[in-house]
Amino acid sequence: MTVVGSSKNHPLYSELVSITAKERVSDNQVIISAYSKDACHLEAERPGIIVMPNNLQEVQEIVKLCARTKTPIMPAGGRSGICGACLPRVPNSVMLDMVNMKKMVSLDEKTMTVTVEAGMRWAELIHILNDKGFKLGFRGPYGGNAATIAGSVSINSMGYAASKYGPAPEGVISLEVVLPNGEIVRTGSGWNTEAQIFTRYSSFADMTGIFLGDHGTLGVKTKVTLKIYPKAEFSTYIDLGFRSLDDAMVAFEEIQRRGLTEELNCLLARESADTYFPGLLDSHPKIQATIHSVIMETDKELAERKVQIIREIGENIKGKDIGNFAAQIHWAEKFNEVQPMYNNGFWLNTCHLRPIYRLPELMERMRAIFKKYDLEKKGISWIADALAVERTYAAAWVTIFAPTRNDMELAERAWNEMLDAAMETGGCPYWSGLLWENRALEKVDDNFIQLYRTIKKAIDPDNIMAPMVFEGGY
Amino acid sequence: MTESKFPNLISYKDELWLCGRCGDCSLADKTVASGRGVDHPCAIKNVLGFEAYSAKGRVMILNDLLEGKLEINQDVVDWAHACNTCKSCQETCMATADGIHMPDMVEALRKDLIVNGFTVKKHDEIENSIINEFNPYKETQDFRLKVFGDREFPPKAEVVYFTGCTSSYREKEIAVTTVELLTKLGVDYTVLQDERCCGSVLLRLGREKTFGNLTKHNIESINRTGAKTVVTACAGCYRTWKVDVVEAGYEYDFQVLHITEFLDELITKGAASFELKEKLRVTYHDPCHLGRHSEVYEAPRRVIESIENVELVEMATNKRYAHCCGSGGGVKGTYSNLANEVAGNRIREAEETGAELLLTACPFCYRGLRDGAKYIGSDIKVLDLPTFLLDAKIGKSMMKVKDEPLKLKFMEYLVAHPMIFDGLKKGAVIDYEFEDSRFHIEVIGKREVIAKPQRAENPDVELMFSPAAVETLVTFTSEDKYAEQFGKFFKEPTDSEWIRFNLRLNIVKLLMKGYRKFAQKAGLI
Repeated sequence: MTVVGSSKNHPLYSELVSITAKERVSDNQVIISAYSKDACHLEAERPGIIVMPNNLQEVQEIVKLCARTKTPIMPAGGRSGICGACLPRVPNSVMLDMVNMKKMVSLDEKTMTVTVEAGMRWAELIHILNDKGFKLGFRGPYGGNAATIAGSVSINSMGYAASKYGPAPEGVISLEVVLPNGEIVRTGSGWNTEAQIFTRYSSFADMTGIFLGDHGTLGVKTKVTLKIYPKAEFSTYIDLGFRSLDDAMVAFEEIQRRGLTEELNCLLARESADTYFPGLLDSHPKIQATIHSVIMETDKELAERKVQIIREIGENIKGKDIGNFAAQIHWAEKFNEVQPMYNNGFWLNTCHLRPIYRLPELMERMRAIFKKYDLEKKGISWIADALAVERTYAAAWVTIFAPTRNDMELAERAWNEMLDAAMETGGCPYWSGLLWENRALEKVDDNFIQLYRTIKKAIDPDNIMAPMVFEGGY
Repeated sequence: MTESKFPNLISYKDELWLCGRCGDCSLADKTVASGRGVDHPCAIKNVLGFEAYSAKGRVMILNDLLEGKLEINQDVVDWAHACNTCKSCQETCMATADGIHMPDMVEALRKDLIVNGFTVKKHDEIENSIINEFNPYKETQDFRLKVFGDREFPPKAEVVYFTGCTSSYREKEIAVTTVELLTKLGVDYTVLQDERCCGSVLLRLGREKTFGNLTKHNIESINRTGAKTVVTACAGCYRTWKVDVVEAGYEYDFQVLHITEFLDELITKGAASFELKEKLRVTYHDPCHLGRHSEVYEAPRRVIESIENVELVEMATNKRYAHCCGSGGGVKGTYSNLANEVAGNRIREAEETGAELLLTACPFCYRGLRDGAKYIGSDIKVLDLPTFLLDAKIGKSMMKVKDEPLKLKFMEYLVAHPMIFDGLKKGAVIDYEFEDSRFHIEVIGKREVIAKPQRAENPDVELMFSPAAVETLVTFTSEDKYAEQFGKFFKEPTDSEWIRFNLRLNIVKLLMKGYRKFAQKAGLI
C-alpha cells in the first residue's frame, strides 16, 4: 500500500520495483527527506531512491543491478547512529532500508549462537533471548531500541555490557554478506557448507573482521551470527563516590583489570552530574566523581561476592558506598537513558575510545574548552561520562547540548575544538562517519589506509558500495 | 520567507529542534528495558513502511518544509493526512517532558496547508456538512433524534447523554443501547433536542472556523437541561469536551464523563452490577482519544473486570502504548484501505490473546475494528462496551468486596503521613501494588494526599511491595524512618522484604513533578 507515490525519476526505479514491490521503493522527495539525517546534525547527500528489501534474494538482485549499472548503494539500519555513517556521500545512491529483514533465523543452544537477519533490533533480540533463557554479550548501543545488529557491527558501536564483552563486533562469529558483485559469502565456520556456524576463526584468515566496522563499504550484511550466554538471574549493583577524579580512575581501572562487572559506568565530572543524573550528588557535596557497577551472574553468592570486592576496591581508595540507585536505574532504563537528555538541547558528541589511564588528561582539556567558551553561562550544558570497555580502555563520552538553534554555532565551535582535543590526547574514535572521518584520515598511517583501499578495490572495483566513505571531504 | 507560509507550524520550530531522531517512535521495543510495553508505536508506519510516516521522519520533513527544502505540493498534502494523530509516538518519546507533540504539529500543518490553498475536497464537504447540518455525514439535522425512535426525553435531567454524530447517524446501535442501558440503570438522563457536532472531526483535519459556534451552542443547550453531568460514549466527543473545548478557552460548569467512567462510578457505589450467564474471555482496545489523549485507561477495565464470568486479557500493546485502530485523524475518511490495514493489524493482536470478543468504547474504533476484521477475514466479534453490557444481567451491588485489611492499613498510614510525599507537586500520582491489592496516592496539595482504592489511570511511578515489606513500613511513626527503610528495601532486598518500581514517566517529567526530593529522602540518590 502506498499513500505518497514515487516520482519515478530515478533511473533504476522500474527495475527496483520489479525486484521488490512498488510499496517498498520510493524516490519521492517527501519520503527521501525522512532519510536525510541520522541522530546527529551532520548532513551529506540525500539518497536518490529508498528500497526496503525483504530477504537475501532481493538484496542480491538489487546489488547485481547496481553493479551492472555502476550505481552507488548505501545500506542503512535503524539510522539511530550519531555520526552520519549511513548517509550517502554521492548523489543518486540507492539506499537500502534494512529494517524489514528482522527475523531471528536460528538459535543454536548447542553451539550457543544466535543468527539474525541484518535488520533485527537489539532490544527485540534481547527480549527474545531472555524468554528462552539466554543473553547476549554486548547488549547494543544506547539507542538499541531502534539500532539494528548489522548496523552496529558495521560501525563498531559501543554500549551496554561492553565493560565485560567489548564493543558490538566482538560478539560476532559469522556474517552473511552480499558482495559488491552480488555474490554471497558466509564467514567464520560458514565457509564449510557441512559445518554449523560455531566459530569465527578456523583454517583461513579472519574474513569476518574485514567486514566489521566497514561502514557498509565492502558489502551488504544480510545475516549476523552472535555469541550467546546463559541468562544470569542474579544481579547486584553498587554506586561509589570519590573525592577526586584520579581516585575514581584508579578504582575504575582496578575493577576492570579484575573483570568484575557486566557494566561499569563512570561519571567523571561532578559539574556534569546534574545533566546526566539529576539530584544524584546533591547529598554528597564532597564527591567529585562516581562509579556505577552492574554485576550479573548465574550464581547468587558470586554476584554478592563480586559487589563486595568492588566495594572493598573503592573503600581502599577512600571511596564511599553511596547506594545503588543510579546503577540500578542505569541498567533498568537500558536504551531509554539518552533520550531524556535531549531536553537539554540537541547534542553534540565526542564519543571515542582511550585507555582508562588517559581519561584525566582528556577531562583537563575538555574543562578548559568549556571554560574558554564560557558555555555554562551561555546555557550550554554537558556531560562527561566514561563506559569501561573490556579490560582497561573506555568509551569517553563528552557531550554538549545546544538548547536552541541559535546556540548551535557557538556549540559547534567548542565541539570542534573538543574533537581535536580528543584526537590529540590519544583518542581513537570507534565509529568514523561524518563525525570523525576527516580527523581520522589526518592521523591515519599511510600503509594502514592503503591496505584497506587495496581490499576495497579488489572487492568493489567499480566502487559502488558506500562510495567516498573513508575518503574524507565531508 | 518560507516560514510565513506556516503560521501554525512555525510555533513548533524550537520543539522540532529538540527531537534527537533516536527512532523510538518508529522502531522501539522497550519491553526488555523498563516494562513499558512499547512495540513499533506508529501504526501507520507499520503498514506503509517508510520512515517518512513515523514521527522521526515527520520531524525531518516538517523541518524541511520550514526551511524551504521542500515545497508544499499534493504529495505533502497526501502525506500530512496519512497520520492518525493517535499520539502513540508522543507517548513513546522521551526527548521532552511531554514527548514531541507530533499530533499537534500534524494538525498545525494541516491548518497551514489550508492557508496555502491546499484543501482536500472530501474535507471541504465534511466542513460544509457540519456548517449546514451540524454533522459531518451530510445528514439532516432534524433527523438526529430519529435513531431513538419514539423515545421521548425530558427537558430537564441530572445527566445529559451527548450522543455524538457517529452514534446518531452511523453506528446507531451504540446510541440505542446506551440509552437503553442508562434507562435500565435508572439514571435520570436526557438527550439534547438540538445537539450539534462537537467539532472533533474539524479540528483533526485542521479546520477551526465553526468550532466556537458549535461549542457555544452545545454548552448553552446542556445548561438549559440543568444537568450536572454530561456522559458520552464517543471517545472523540469526550476528548473534544475534555481537551479541545477547554484549550479553546470555553468554560462549563458540568462534569464530562465517558460512559465507562460513569459506569465505573455506579459500580463502585454499588448502584450497578453486571453478570454474564457463561464464561467469556474478552480483550479491550483503548480508543486513542479516551486513552492517550484523555488518560482514561483503568475505568473501562474496571467495568469489564467487574462483570461476573468475564475474563479480561490484554493485547500485547495496551493502555498508553496501545496501537491505534486506524480510524482517527481523518484517516478512515481519507484513506479507507489504509485504515483497514491498520485495523487489521490491531485485530491480529486481539486474536493473539485468544479472546472470543474484542471490546472497545468508541463508535469510530468500533466501526474501524469491525471493518478491519472483515478486511482480513477474521471471525473475532467486535462490540462496543454499552452494547455488550446490555446483554448482561444487570443488577445492583453484586460486587464481591474483597477483605483487604493490609491494603486499608497501608492507605490509611500513607494518608496520615503526608510528609512521605513532601516535595511532590500537586497532581503527582503513585500506584501501589502488593500481591493482588492495588491502590494509588494522589498529591492534592502541599503535604496533602488522598488514597484511592483502585489502580491509577496513569501513574507517574508504580511501586510494588512484598506484603512483609508493607507490614514493616506501616510500623514507623517517623516519616524519615519510613523513607530510610523504603530505600533499604529497594537497595538491599531480601527474599521476603523487597520493593521494586516501574517509572511510568520519563525522568525529565518525574523531576518536574518533584520526585528528586522523594528519591533523596528514601536515600535512593
